[in-house]
Amino acid sequence: MYFEKLKTAEEDWKERHREEISQAEATGAACEDGIPLKVLYTPPDAGADACADTGFPGDFPFTRGNDAAGYRKKLWTISHYAGFGSPRETNVLFRRMIDHGGVPPYMALDLPTQLGLDPDHPMARGEVGMAGTSVASLRDWETIFDGINLEDTFVGTVINAPAAVFLALHVVLAQKQGADLKKIRGNLQNDILKEFTARGNFIFPVGPSLRLVTDTLEYCAQHLPAYWPLNVCGGHFPEAGANRVHEVAFAFADAFTYVEDAVRRGVGIDSFGKGIFFLMKTNHTDLFEEVAKFRVMRRMWATRLRDRYGAKDPETMKCRILAHSGGSLLTRERPELNIARTTLACAAGVLGGVQLIGLRTMDEVFGIPTEKSELIAIGTQHVVAYETGLPDVVDPLGGSYYVEALTAEFERRVLEELDRIERMGGMVKAIESGYVRTAIADDSYRTQRAWETGKKVKVGVNKFRIEENEPPRRPYAYQPEEEQRQVAAVEQLRRERDNAAVGKALERVVEVARRPAASENNLMPAIIEAVRSYATVGEICGALRQVFGEYTEPTRF
Amino acid sequence: MSGQQRKIRVLMGKPGLCGHDRGIVLVVMALRDAGMEVIYSGRHNSPESLVEAAIQEDVDVLGVSILAGGHLGLCERTAALLRERNAGDIVLLAGGFIPPEDIPKLKALGVREVFRDGAKLGDIVQFIETVARERAAA
Repeated sequence: MYFEKLKTAEEDWKERHREEISQAEATGAACEDGIPLKVLYTPPDAGADACADTGFPGDFPFTRGNDAAGYRKKLWTISHYAGFGSPRETNVLFRRMIDHGGVPPYMALDLPTQLGLDPDHPMARGEVGMAGTSVASLRDWETIFDGINLEDTFVGTVINAPAAVFLALHVVLAQKQGADLKKIRGNLQNDILKEFTARGNFIFPVGPSLRLVTDTLEYCAQHLPAYWPLNVCGGHFPEAGANRVHEVAFAFADAFTYVEDAVRRGVGIDSFGKGIFFLMKTNHTDLFEEVAKFRVMRRMWATRLRDRYGAKDPETMKCRILAHSGGSLLTRERPELNIARTTLACAAGVLGGVQLIGLRTMDEVFGIPTEKSELIAIGTQHVVAYETGLPDVVDPLGGSYYVEALTAEFERRVLEELDRIERMGGMVKAIESGYVRTAIADDSYRTQRAWETGKKVKVGVNKFRIEENEPPRRPYAYQPEEEQRQVAAVEQLRRERDNAAVGKALERVVEVARRPAASENNLMPAIIEAVRSYATVGEICGALRQVFGEYTEPTRF
Repeated sequence: MSGQQRKIRVLMGKPGLCGHDRGIVLVVMALRDAGMEVIYSGRHNSPESLVEAAIQEDVDVLGVSILAGGHLGLCERTAALLRERNAGDIVLLAGGFIPPEDIPKLKALGVREVFRDGAKLGDIVQFIETVARERAAA
């Protein structure tokens, strides 16, 4: 009755302003992923039961937030991302950060390490120590954490294809320090599925890669309950060009695949679900849809975990979101405007109730950020946190007719995409067939065309241009001596260690890898012993390559 | 060349270990839509395998994309291999995250043109059409 009255009132309003409204509607405003936007939203758009559907924060399905008091309980974590040089330099940096009462940032590793190649491999030439630290063996891990007590230190590692080897490095070093494994905290990225479709650092085919993830989840559930072994990454999809619906659908499709594989093996969801985090983008574009996205993620994750995987613990059902602003939306033209973009991106994350925010620096588009721009990126978050009042009220946009309508429509579209993937036979099939890559490439091509034709505005690039010179930037810190040092170090290691023991340990890895994936064939114990014998990352991955082979990606678009 | 004209043939490749391929995939799609025969190598290739493929596929243009900082070394090896294999007439193009001061260095190594991130697809298509026509006329 109430809605009918409102609808009549809206019709009357439309009639009174017919010309203005029809002109506005003719522009066809829509979000990038195609969700059409009305000029005005009213209660019927939000749905009759919007209030009942969204519930309360801290309660299932957590649409309005993970915690009842939101940021008044705990502010989001203000994060930053830093680069490293050699294991020795990394150690110095870590110790300095710990001395200053901070936590070490996530560890970046160089590309050869991420691809399981030792520094002396021919393909590693020119790339050792380039995009992060080079780690070839336990000896490097010992150097990085020299004088650092692992029981007291959270260690985050951005590693995917060889993640099991890095978990083993951490376990062995913790044991050598006499630590209690139950107290070891840290985090692996370990999201191999998005490497096939977005980030590109894959080694083994999809099936065996998935087995390695499940082996780490199972091992942590049994031995390292405080460790977080998986960050499911949605944010790499928009950086590769995907629209927002695809960002969430592909992240969830990946996450469900991991969960289902582990549950099928008999690992209970409540024993490992709390260790899963989502690494997403928070962007300034279609800002209200960004807020809707975070609300939808919480609701969908909680519902699926409870209803399909049998989660009982509400903590397991909470979708924990770490959000970074996107580098691909920043521009080299008028770079100071990137500060405006990331400020709005930060606001979107806060309005969406995420757990951590990291902002790109304004000059990242030119190379290594300057110290000044890093301080601006952190300071921007401080302004949002302490001057705007945005954190004062939980889910401040909840109940907005517009945001509730977007939330419902966004959820519908994500579910539709997930159904499509399920009909294809699941995410593994969707990856192997090339579907996911093609979907991302099509989104990316559409966006690029819209920028080039000016249909989509990029300030400073295709509109409001100002000709100016590129600002000064920090030169690449790459030193070729670092590569030679790491090559010499791995050669020295091979001379000094007990090579018979290494050979035996690697044979054991091969033997277990040959058996079918199962709890009794979990690869972690064999990899741990190989690491302990000082087998290199390249040798352990080499043993696995021998059994699993390598992934060949579809290259047709 | 009488009757039907040979389509422009391009190999787009990613040498080295860098996994970023949003840019190169866009270029592949744009060249395809412009009516060229485009082959994409996928990721993690050595300069040796790219040059071998370029010769086998009889391409007019070899475009490489690098965003992880290894462009100088990788382009130097690729250009040298093309010359060694008597395939110096294949036009070598480079794209990706490349600082402006490296552009003259890359050109001195034998890279014909550099398209940094932010380059327009239309400009790349036009450039390739021009050099391929020149190559056919030579």
